[in-house]
Amino acid sequence: MDFDWTTFLLEIINFLILIWILKRFLYQPVLDIIDERRTGIDQALADAKRIEEEAKALKQKNEQFLVEWENEKETAHAQLVAELAELRERKLAEITQKIDEETERRRILDERCRCDYEKMIEEKAIAQGVAFASKLLTRVATPELETHLFELLIEDLSSLNEADKRAIAEAAAAPAAQIIVQSAFPLADRHREALSDALSGLVNKKTAIEFQCDETLLAGIHMTIGPWVLHANLRDELKFFSKPLAQAEQEE
Amino acid sequence: MEENAIVFYIGPIGITAIVITTWGIMLVLGVLSWFVTRSLSLKPGSLQTALEGIVSTMEAGIAAVLPGQARQLLPFIATLWIYIVIANLTGLIPQLHSPTGNLSVTAGLAILVFLSVHWFGIRQSGMRYFKHYLSPTPLLLPFHLISEVTRTIALAVRLFGNIMSLELVALLVLLVAGLLVPIPLLMLHIVEALVQAYIFGMLALIYVAGAMQSQQSEKGKQL
Repeated sequence: MDFDWTTFLLEIINFLILIWILKRFLYQPVLDIIDERRTGIDQALADAKRIEEEAKALKQKNEQFLVEWENEKETAHAQLVAELAELRERKLAEITQKIDEETERRRILDERCRCDYEKMIEEKAIAQGVAFASKLLTRVATPELETHLFELLIEDLSSLNEADKRAIAEAAAAPAAQIIVQSAFPLADRHREALSDALSGLVNKKTAIEFQCDETLLAGIHMTIGPWVLHANLRDELKFFSKPLAQAEQEE
Repeated sequence: MEENAIVFYIGPIGITAIVITTWGIMLVLGVLSWFVTRSLSLKPGSLQTALEGIVSTMEAGIAAVLPGQARQLLPFIATLWIYIVIANLTGLIPQLHSPTGNLSVTAGLAILVFLSVHWFGIRQSGMRYFKHYLSPTPLLLPFHLISEVTRTIALAVRLFGNIMSLELVALLVLLVAGLLVPIPLLMLHIVEALVQAYIFGMLALIYVAGAMQSQQSEKGKQL
């Protein structure tokens, strides 16, 4: 248990040197590498946190984008539905209009068919009427009736208006003008004279008249003055009776 | 070899075997430190992992007592632990004695602890550090001074006594019982070496921490 001051002092110095040696060659390098690793870990953690934050931001952005996209989708869907509804309404209106037009066309067609049918019935009735009247008038066509019709013709000639009279006069005055008078029965002389007088009065000159017999007239007179035809006979009256329908069709 | 026998002289200074043993320990520790730290990498191997584990554990131990100032105290306290462990275990090597079994060595270490307590206290608080000797009343100043001296002596004698007694017991058992009988005692020597190193370093740490925190407790009391 000897105490040696030299050893005591040298031990103090040795220990201080050992502190320096270990600090220089052991503690400092190890602590430096630990710090470096810790810094790297902290950096990696900071990077990871930053990446996580970025990922969260991206996620939030993505969610926001999804929400916006969803809104846009809903808006587009609503717009599409509205457009479809509008298109449907328009198409429906067009179809309705077409149906109406078709219905109207059909109605017109039906109306026309009905009119045609009525007209056909009417023509048929008229034809039957004409046939009936022809048969009836054929039986009643006598010289007396013709005389009566002759009188009607003379009466009509006297009652022509001035314009017709002037036109007939001009036609009769033409160089190649020919006046032909046809009757179902031979006209009596007095009737021929009366007719000649009436025509002379009408054209203001004495004209030659060619008298002919035509049994198809049934009864009455058919007179041709150039392009003018004057008649008062059953055949032409029956024709006239049946003509209005044909004229009406032509007018339509 | 007699511990205090002078082996050779450097000028007027006589070098004892204990000092040579200490130099050997320093050389081994220096070379080993250089060797294991020459190629440290961020991806440690098993040796580097063990080394980092030892240093980190010591740093954590210091930080547990003095949080925030572990780096400042690590060189002193860790060197105490390492040196005392190695010095204690040196006694297991035939023909060598533990330097810590010599009172001159343990007294030197205790004086270094005594000085470092005041050194770190003054670094921490300046000259106000000495005010804690007058706290809570100047009447306690003698007791504080006696405490400083006695705890330093106790530090030196505790380590010296334990290691010396271990070596003596091992020697006596070897002389009495033969070659293989002292082996369990040598195992106890290892445990005792580690425990004594831990106790010495931890007491030093507590003393230094007390000095560094003395002014903080004074401020706390004033507040």
